[in-house]
Amino acid sequence: MTGVGWTLVEAVARLLEREEREAVLGDLAEAGESPAQGFLAVSGLALRRHVLLWKSWRPWLAAFGLALPCSFLLMGVSLSVSQSYQQIVEPAILKATGVALGPGLMLFLCNVLLLVGWSWTGGFVVGSVSRRTIWVSGALTVLPCMFCLARFHLESMSRLCLLLFLLPAIWGVRRGLQIARIKMSSALVLAVGVTVLTMPAWGTSGPWIPNWALSWPAWYLVLTARKNGREAQRA
Amino acid sequence: MLGEFEYLLITAAAGLGDAAYGAAIREEIAATTGRKCSIGALYTTIERLEMKGLLKTWMGDATPQRGGRAKRMVRVTAKGVLAARDFYEAVTRVSRGASWATNRTSLKNRIALTNRSETAV
Repeated sequence: MTGVGWTLVEAVARLLEREEREAVLGDLAEAGESPAQGFLAVSGLALRRHVLLWKSWRPWLAAFGLALPCSFLLMGVSLSVSQSYQQIVEPAILKATGVALGPGLMLFLCNVLLLVGWSWTGGFVVGSVSRRTIWVSGALTVLPCMFCLARFHLESMSRLCLLLFLLPAIWGVRRGLQIARIKMSSALVLAVGVTVLTMPAWGTSGPWIPNWALSWPAWYLVLTARKNGREAQRA
Repeated sequence: MLGEFEYLLITAAAGLGDAAYGAAIREEIAATTGRKCSIGALYTTIERLEMKGLLKTWMGDATPQRGGRAKRMVRVTAKGVLAARDFYEAVTRVSRGASWATNRTSLKNRIALTNRSETAV
């Protein structure tokens, strides 16, 4: 199994799980198939595997329930945080009176923490709910970003301020892929923290729907941690 | 109940016994049915049957003829044997009386008898 053809087959086989890749490439070698036949066989199997993944609700939730809508909303929050920074923090820094910033600073800090909390929990849920379709969720996060970046025209601000949410979101996705589960105590702290931070908006006719749309992943983590705890107790 | 391909796969694996693994099952199905079996169909069906508890799989030894790659060995479980038997019995039952299910000699005799009795009348 040497040559460019087989290198291509082995590259496509990387879409398969390690053990299955081993067995399939071995079968192809044993059957003496040509690289073209091998390519068709492996890509066919990889396609079937990926189509089968979408029979579950998990990839749908991760991609269309979370990645796509939340990337739009989090770009809005990123923009809001950047604007708050420009209006509240920057003038204070320029005047070198950083201590006496008043209630504006508290609101700014709340928004920063919310941005990090929402992005991290959203990313964690995307990573843990459907790890094998993570590339689809990733694409559905990047597409709205590209769309908005192309249409963003504010002279006072850099386009990159729309993407402030990406760093904590990627961190969350990484953790979600690594550990998949979170402890009940950590999940509760996150969920309660995120909810408390949205409280200043409760009294106003503020954007409560987007707030809850971004907060539910934190409560989803609480529910899954509770379920996992019960299963562990039963075992 | 099993599907047609699931039945073929279980039967081929049961026939191969300890030597049942992906490539061997594929070859067996192709030899007995005359149809090529795709790797995609084979491995997705193996996984589905394993999830139903009808097959058990594990990674076997690597051989030089496979480029040093391991085999995915397959064994039919007791539940798999029962499912295959149910499928076989259902096919046998439903085929009773079908012209293709009786042997050709008796079919010819029956046609001849029918023709004779029709001529006599």
